[in-house]
Amino acid sequence: MGVVTDKLPGALEKVPGGNVLVTRFDEIINWARANSLWPLTFGTSCCAIEMLMATGGPRHDLARFGAEVARPSPRQADLLILAGTIVKRMAPRLRTLYEQMAEPRYVIATGACTISGGPFIYHSYTTVRGADEIIPVDVYVPGCPPRPEQLFHGLLTLQKMIKEGETIREPGVRRKPVISALPEGVTLEDIQGQMKELLVKENVVDVQHAVDKLKWPSGLNERSSGKSDANESGAGDGT
Amino acid sequence: MTIEVSSLKELVEQASGDDRSPDTQEYFVNMGPQHPSTHGVLRLVLKLDGERVLRCIPVLGYIHRSIEKISEHMNYMNCVHLTDRMDYLSSIMNNWAVSKAVEEAAGIEVNSRIQYIRTIFAELERIQSHQLWWGVLGMDLGAFTPFLYGIRDREVLNDVMEETVGARLTMNYVLPGGLMADIHPNFVHRVKEFIKYFRPKLDEYDDLLTNNVIIQERLRNVGVLSAQTAVQYGATGPVLRGSGVAFDLRKDHPYGVYDQADFEVPVGTVGDSWDRYWVRVEEMRQSLNIVEQLLDNIPPGDFLVKKLNSKIKIPEGRYYSQLETARGILGVFIASDKKDEPYRMHYRSPNFNNLWCLEPMIKGDYIASLIGAMSSLDLVIPDIDR
Ligand code: SF4
Repeated sequence: MGVVTDKLPGALEKVPGGNVLVTRFDEIINWARANSLWPLTFGTSCCAIEMLMATGGPRHDLARFGAEVARPSPRQADLLILAGTIVKRMAPRLRTLYEQMAEPRYVIATGACTISGGPFIYHSYTTVRGADEIIPVDVYVPGCPPRPEQLFHGLLTLQKMIKEGETIREPGVRRKPVISALPEGVTLEDIQGQMKELLVKENVVDVQHAVDKLKWPSGLNERSSGKSDANESGAGDGT
Repeated sequence: MTIEVSSLKELVEQASGDDRSPDTQEYFVNMGPQHPSTHGVLRLVLKLDGERVLRCIPVLGYIHRSIEKISEHMNYMNCVHLTDRMDYLSSIMNNWAVSKAVEEAAGIEVNSRIQYIRTIFAELERIQSHQLWWGVLGMDLGAFTPFLYGIRDREVLNDVMEETVGARLTMNYVLPGGLMADIHPNFVHRVKEFIKYFRPKLDEYDDLLTNNVIIQERLRNVGVLSAQTAVQYGATGPVLRGSGVAFDLRKDHPYGVYDQADFEVPVGTVGDSWDRYWVRVEEMRQSLNIVEQLLDNIPPGDFLVKKLNSKIKIPEGRYYSQLETARGILGVFIASDKKDEPYRMHYRSPNFNNLWCLEPMIKGDYIASLIGAMSSLDLVIPDIDR
């Protein structure tokens, strides 16, 4: 991202109405990031079976999120899925793994253990009480262990955060972490339906929406909305 | 047999000290604790000569959660639920082991309905555990398809059990004095359907992996563990039986209602990875048989002997009880001082002893064989560290 963040916004500033282009970049980059999360699987105990094995299986199928390319190496991953208890002896390793990952990096902490220490919170002399004591966490997925659906819900939450959050002008600016508890009564089918909707929605580029969202300097607003009709067909085909 | 006790540091110094030969150099490689094929957070320090493994030293503690210590602050009803998190693939059997120990110590008699249901669930879970192991073994040897097959069938069984238990992995179903809930009205019917579904699938497993030449070449005569070494190291479960020792608590010291069922204990001959593989696949067939025989005879009765409060008191003394989980013998040791909390709780976990068989198995073999051999041990690391 170095070239884009350092050089491009400056270069584009000179183009009349260049702001439009920069904002579009944000959306495209965030869209691409959100849909190709490559997880580093950090499974230490029980949660790993549900989070990393059952989700990889044919029933739940992590692949539909574009997140099935599980990497055992931190250098090739941008999403750290923590599954399982973290104990004091493992903590420095976890920190190292996180630091070895390239920006932008995201962390999903699954299971009670990575949130607070879980069943081992009292009287344990080794457990780390929550992964956020060691590394910043973006999405918490509660449960002991969470159902695979819950991880998917967490992934959807993270994707939403990525799409709305970062701009390339301020790389690495962290949003507040969120807890992604599965609302009651939501089934796997609901989540799969939500996924499908998202995919369909993303295949159509809504230029008008993007233009409306922009904050224009006063006076520019009328001109741009007139222009956007022409843009609509052209940009839509391109993506 | 002599047991050398030396620290890791000494070993490393030793190795660099006696490197005198001009053309070969021995070196150490760390495998883990974050490694895709150690199934969790096992760290192996390997001393290699080229590709040959000279020593293989497991280093533990990366998932030590101090379950035994926490148990000392809990009453007997509560410490059952921590055992789910030890060997999470045998969670019901772990619950049962503690419940059995507490029941024997406190003199609680459970009725035969409870025993039937416990036995059926234990066998179902054994199948589930072996299904996962089967898939992961394929994946470790470089074949991804078995993993998909194994998980697919595991989900089918998971649904059946979830209906009764309410959880997918950490089931918390067995308690001292009974069960958490009665079986679901659909349970018997659905298990029968599962048996009908899974029998042909086992033949499919055979076509896919068991009769596959590549798998046979990778497993046969790799990681040979002699019967004598297995006994010396205290290996249990399929690892011991793969080495040709027909010792199974279900047969030799029956608990639950295993004495009512007619089943065989598969035993290997050579003690290589292939034998351990074969024993486990065969065990799935036997478990299906056991479940099938018991399913129709579940007697009526309560699922809990009486409403037990959390204050079960155990007379002063030391108690030990054991049963056969999917990986071997899980022993539960309780030292009681008449309170409702244990004075000391100790678990003899099957994986711990099985892990140490890795070094005699793999010494002198190629590092590539190590992965297959380790996979055939079917280790669950949180059970080793507790
Ligand atoms: S949250 Fe529960 S299931 Fe997950 S690692 Fe912790 S104890 Fe195991």
